Amino acid sequence: MGWLTGSDKPEKEEVHIGFMPLTDCAPLVMASVLELDKKYGLRFVLRREASWAGVRDKLASGALDAAHALYGMIYGVQLGIGSAPRDMAVLMGLNRNGQTITLSKALAERGAVDGPSLARLMQSDERRYTFAQTFPTGTHAMWLYYWLAAHGIHPLRDARTISVPPPQMVANMRAGEMDGFCAGDPWGRRAMLDGVGGVSIPTQEIWPDHPEKVLGCSLSFVQEHPNTCRAMVAAILEACRWLDTNREQMADVLAAEAYVNTSKEAIGGCGIAFHDDGEANFPYLSDGMWFMTQHRRWGLLKEDPDYLSVAKAVNQICIYQDAATMTGTPLPHSVMRSSTLLGGAVWDGENPQAFAAAPAMCTDSVQSCTAT
Amino acid sequence: MNRTSLRIVVVNTVIRAGEEGNPALAAQAERARVLRIGLLEAGYDIVASLPPDIYLPERIAQLQPDMIIVDAESDARDVLEHIVIATRDERRPIVMFTESDDADSMEAAMSAGVSAYIVAGLHSERIKPVLQVALARFKREQKLLDELSDTRHKLAERKVIERAKGLLMARQSFTEDQAYQKLRTLAMSKNLKLAEVAQRILDVEDLLG
Repeated sequence: MGWLTGSDKPEKEEVHIGFMPLTDCAPLVMASVLELDKKYGLRFVLRREASWAGVRDKLASGALDAAHALYGMIYGVQLGIGSAPRDMAVLMGLNRNGQTITLSKALAERGAVDGPSLARLMQSDERRYTFAQTFPTGTHAMWLYYWLAAHGIHPLRDARTISVPPPQMVANMRAGEMDGFCAGDPWGRRAMLDGVGGVSIPTQEIWPDHPEKVLGCSLSFVQEHPNTCRAMVAAILEACRWLDTNREQMADVLAAEAYVNTSKEAIGGCGIAFHDDGEANFPYLSDGMWFMTQHRRWGLLKEDPDYLSVAKAVNQICIYQDAATMTGTPLPHSVMRSSTLLGGAVWDGENPQAFAAAPAMCTDSVQSCTAT
Repeated sequence: MNRTSLRIVVVNTVIRAGEEGNPALAAQAERARVLRIGLLEAGYDIVASLPPDIYLPERIAQLQPDMIIVDAESDARDVLEHIVIATRDERRPIVMFTESDDADSMEAAMSAGVSAYIVAGLHSERIKPVLQVALARFKREQKLLDELSDTRHKLAERKVIERAKGLLMARQSFTEDQAYQKLRTLAMSKNLKLAEVAQRILDVEDLLG
């Protein structure tokens, strides 16, 4: 991949980008506020959305050109989980980490302050425990399920898990109806600041430097507007780079009503990284594949897909490489990366079927930590 | 089912403490109010008007409504998503309502998602025909999905029979017709379907190599 010269003018200059009011929408917001979109010949029109389902439908219908999206959700749409299947694209990662699993104050007061102590409490004090995540195929659901399973708790059989919007998670926890939730910043901090949460566990304990939100769009949008997509990624890459060293200003901007609409102190970001020299942005195939293995693990997919082919079709590596070159962002030397997850399993993109079927971290207290 | 027996659950917009001044939420709440009136005037049975909280999935499971209606701009949609996936094998139409009269985005939305339809505008006399259309579309799509599944199943069976025939032709030097007759005879004598006998032959082949 070299420079693309000649007609690389964006096909479409005005780009409608959806976002949800979370700290990790920052790359999109800052790209607009710092006028980085204009630098690359674009004009971002940011639209705040109320639900992930709404984001998904608007990406599919074209009402949105691109969006701040849960990595897992894009693959869920691709494979038709909960909606008609639709060819989708991941243009870049927007961030790593920055999410939390928050356990209620009531649980903490009874000694449940981490995975092992939660598992012990759930065994000794048997009742129905309720945990929430943001979207059934999304990132938070997969972090929550992986974490519970790693401590011997089957997320679908040993507890009630449900999708609710983050403001409700905090309200339900305050009312004593929610034992724990996994959501993005600022919600974990919000719960702790309000005295409702007992302990907030950063998701990087599950997978250090895990992928999280992505810039997603439909595949047809990329195919019809490759120059626009390239320029979009370049603008947002520069915003990501700025964000890694300008957190104060970020909080100032995001706290506003138009964006995340919360207090500055809640917007912190638990170890969130937006750039990390491009490491947080490269659309590793192994990252996309991981979500599919987890969808399979929990029965959201009834059969193994062709993991590698799907990831190759969805993750737009070529467009990203061009944009990285344009912005002087370093590129990794492989489309796969290797990580060691909580419990010791190594995920490197090899043997996805085996990874989906045989997670090695369940203890003997549950029969199996898969859906079947 | 006729319209007066259609059991509908409406998912509400919840306005939480501190959000009273939010104009988007106020607009949603007003839409919901007009919708409920319209549904009642049209003779529909609103079985329940539920908040999108942690108990929604259970309540829906208990009530078993024929249709769920929710505001397209509501954060309740993510709670419903959970229900959609959990009840994949017993689907019901989810109708979304919105102010937007944009025919293009309605069409696109309908082609994007099998179980979602948009009601544009909320004049009560418009609700009845739209719901009827939504229900009819849903039933037609369910029928198509069932037919598709049936066709796939039949195709898979056909392939198995062809392979078994091929096997018999190769091993026993049968003609195609002889192989077919052999399968038929075996199926009848064992009171099995043709495809089942064929599968058994393939299984034995696998076993014995």
